[in-house]
Amino acid sequence: MLLAPALAAIVAVMGFPLVYLLYMSLHKWSLIGTAAPAFVGFGNFAALADDDRFVQSLLRTLYFTALGLATNLPAGLGIALLLNREFFGRGLLRALLIFPMVATPVAMGLVWVVMLDPSLGIVHYLFGLIGIASPPLWLSDTNWVIPTLVFVDAWMWTPMVALICSAGLAALPVEPFEAAIVDGASAWQRFRYLTLPLMMPMLVVAAMLRLMDLLKVIDIVYVMTEGGPGHASETINLYNYLVALSYGKVGYGAAVALVLFALVLLATLALIRLRRAA
Amino acid sequence: MTRGARLRRLGRAGRAVAAWLVVFALMLPFVWMVLGSFKSARDFLSYPPVWLFRPTLDNYAEVFADNAFPRYVLNSTIVAAGATAIGLVLGVPAAHALARWRRNAIGVVLLAARMAPGIAFLIPLFVACLELHLVGGYTSLIASHLIFTLPLAVWMMVGFIEAVPVELEQAALIDGCSVLGALLRIVVPLTRQGIAATAILAFIASWNNFLFALVLSNDATKTLPVAVLGYIGYNSIQWGPLMAAASVITLPVMVLALCVQRYIVRGLVSGAVTG
Repeated sequence: MLLAPALAAIVAVMGFPLVYLLYMSLHKWSLIGTAAPAFVGFGNFAALADDDRFVQSLLRTLYFTALGLATNLPAGLGIALLLNREFFGRGLLRALLIFPMVATPVAMGLVWVVMLDPSLGIVHYLFGLIGIASPPLWLSDTNWVIPTLVFVDAWMWTPMVALICSAGLAALPVEPFEAAIVDGASAWQRFRYLTLPLMMPMLVVAAMLRLMDLLKVIDIVYVMTEGGPGHASETINLYNYLVALSYGKVGYGAAVALVLFALVLLATLALIRLRRAA
Repeated sequence: MTRGARLRRLGRAGRAVAAWLVVFALMLPFVWMVLGSFKSARDFLSYPPVWLFRPTLDNYAEVFADNAFPRYVLNSTIVAAGATAIGLVLGVPAAHALARWRRNAIGVVLLAARMAPGIAFLIPLFVACLELHLVGGYTSLIASHLIFTLPLAVWMMVGFIEAVPVELEQAALIDGCSVLGALLRIVVPLTRQGIAATAILAFIASWNNFLFALVLSNDATKTLPVAVLGYIGYNSIQWGPLMAAASVITLPVMVLALCVQRYIVRGLVSGAVTG
């Protein structure tokens, strides 16, 4: 009895926009001018293949995602291993770890802009201290802008990976490790042949969450570079926003949004498959 | 002490020191933000950057002297409170129904919602709001934030409600309580803490949201994440006020997050529509 109104609300909130999105994606539909939306079938999707800016943003997003996964997972597992044993202040450190992921991303993105400033920023200064007098210009360098954004994203989200891994480490069985120590296995061998395989399910969960959000990255890119310099940091989600809501091409933008949704869905399913196969 | 034991103790101490160093490095942006918010323009422009300086409240004074800023704080609070309250009112009964009956199908729907990019909801919502002349109003902002507060509430509450023994509700039903009565008199009081934690997580998610507010708000209903962009112009950055505004925006969230520390990861896993 209570199910009906509650589910109706969920369907209205989540379902209606997606159905409308599907409808829009099949139309040539612009918010600018007075032309009425015209049905074009899959025309918008077909046009994507010839849209160089779309293809580039897609490839850039895949690069961003790969770089993000390659840094977040090892670093997160590393931090979790450091926090695995009891020591003075462990609880406090764990509490502090939640700050980067809950602090308003837009505000922290701007704080990073200040820190990364090539003339006054503290990052520049810290590099100077270790003898690198002229580090890259970070956000203004077309080759460095993506790695720099990945770094800021990693600062926000690696602690989440660490906390997920931390929960996994705490739940590991003790006996195999005791047996390995008795058998004279080195710390590296215990990590390589026990910890890592036993942690795989947790790592896959963390990878799945990061994968979903890396493919969709937009907030920090919007506030830190607006996709620049040029289009050097324009991710697919940012391109989608610009096309649909700045240029007003909502029909075409709807098609881009569906492709992005499908991309996240397929990537996640592929990861789940991979885990089952392993 | 044997050599091995001494080495092991040393290794353990080294690990603790490394953990402290890593976490302190991660806190640097917060330290720098708060320090910067108390720096005068001159201290901000000195290079190498200064750690010790005569603190000033000028930046905060400047931020709050702008009449619009308290307004933005109010906007953020109204939208986050509204989206949290409605999300819970709709989400708790849904979670109850799902916890007590089959929930696999709806789990898939909620997972799909977690995967969907925010823009996929935003484009149709924006067009619908344009046609209904709702762009810029609190209604459209709160409704759009329901897209993440509602699944978050359902997902979190299913877990809490499952922990309540179903026998308690059955007893209430036999004694003549309606389903709604059982929900309000048995389930809600017993999951009070869970509801509070869920409310805080939903509030944080809404407070932090940028993209939906960027598109659906106007000058009068702007929320803080959109407003803070105003401190960074094409040619000039107002360094001090920017850091002060960033501190004002993030500190409440950090305090709230500490209260629900145990549930943060679960909340992020289930709720946040990012991007």
